[in-house]
Amino acid sequence: MELEDAPRQHYTENEKQDIFNQEFMPHIHSMYNFGYRLTLDRDDAKDLVQDTYLKAYRFIESFQKGTNAKAWLFRILKNSFINDYRKRSKEPNKIDYQEVETYYNSEEVDRQITPDLRVESLKDMIGDEISNALNSLDVDFRTVIILCDLEGFKYEEMAKILDIPIGTVRSRLHRARNLLKEKLKSYAKSMGYNNA
Amino acid sequence: MAPLYNPFIHDDGKKPTCMEMLQLIVDNQATDEQRTYFKQHMDNCLPCYKKYNVDMAVSELLKEKCSGENCPDDLVAQIKSKIKMMNA
Repeated sequence: MELEDAPRQHYTENEKQDIFNQEFMPHIHSMYNFGYRLTLDRDDAKDLVQDTYLKAYRFIESFQKGTNAKAWLFRILKNSFINDYRKRSKEPNKIDYQEVETYYNSEEVDRQITPDLRVESLKDMIGDEISNALNSLDVDFRTVIILCDLEGFKYEEMAKILDIPIGTVRSRLHRARNLLKEKLKSYAKSMGYNNA
Repeated sequence: MAPLYNPFIHDDGKKPTCMEMLQLIVDNQATDEQRTYFKQHMDNCLPCYKKYNVDMAVSELLKEKCSGENCPDDLVAQIKSKIKMMNA
């Protein structure tokens, strides 16, 4: 899915317009939501989505008509975010993925203590709590949750979008869900659910 | 009664752990056959039943509360006008 490396298609100007309008534009709300959840800023999200769509148009001949346009666009947006936006932050967060892999692959994993959260305490969460919990995760953990839960991508698609092996997608998702539940549990406690 | 065949079994014949089965379900990656098997499995596995309900509730909450950032109308117009300029 590299833009420059993909086999080039040949489209007429009309075909380019059709692909752009019919295959790319329908994903604009998902793309904006993804951009917003990555940057946590509406103006940055707008810039990121605009850059992505202009890039997608410029490299439209790297896209094969009728294939997975949504995954292709998400990958461009993710790469633009890493190259253009993440660099702006002083010190990008780092995750020890080796540690995560070891954790996930350990036979002890089923005996690890996972956050004990109750469905009842989740029902009273009005929206800010879950959104804040998601936003508080490191961007790499946040990303897999967005791609999986909000956008419904398959492991293989996520692996391609993120340039990581499927096993890493799974371990990252597993860890992200536990971190999210830990956050939600602390919110639930502050709301008075002592046995959240 | 769970069916004899466990559709989660690894290619090398290794039996899946509860956590592995649960993750495929929660991540929405399981086949219909795996879902049916897991539903039956939960009838006899209280930890899976509890974790499944919490994880699915969190996932539903995420979908409901974190998907609503709609792209502003002016952005669509801006993109279209920039593309027109690129073609000019």
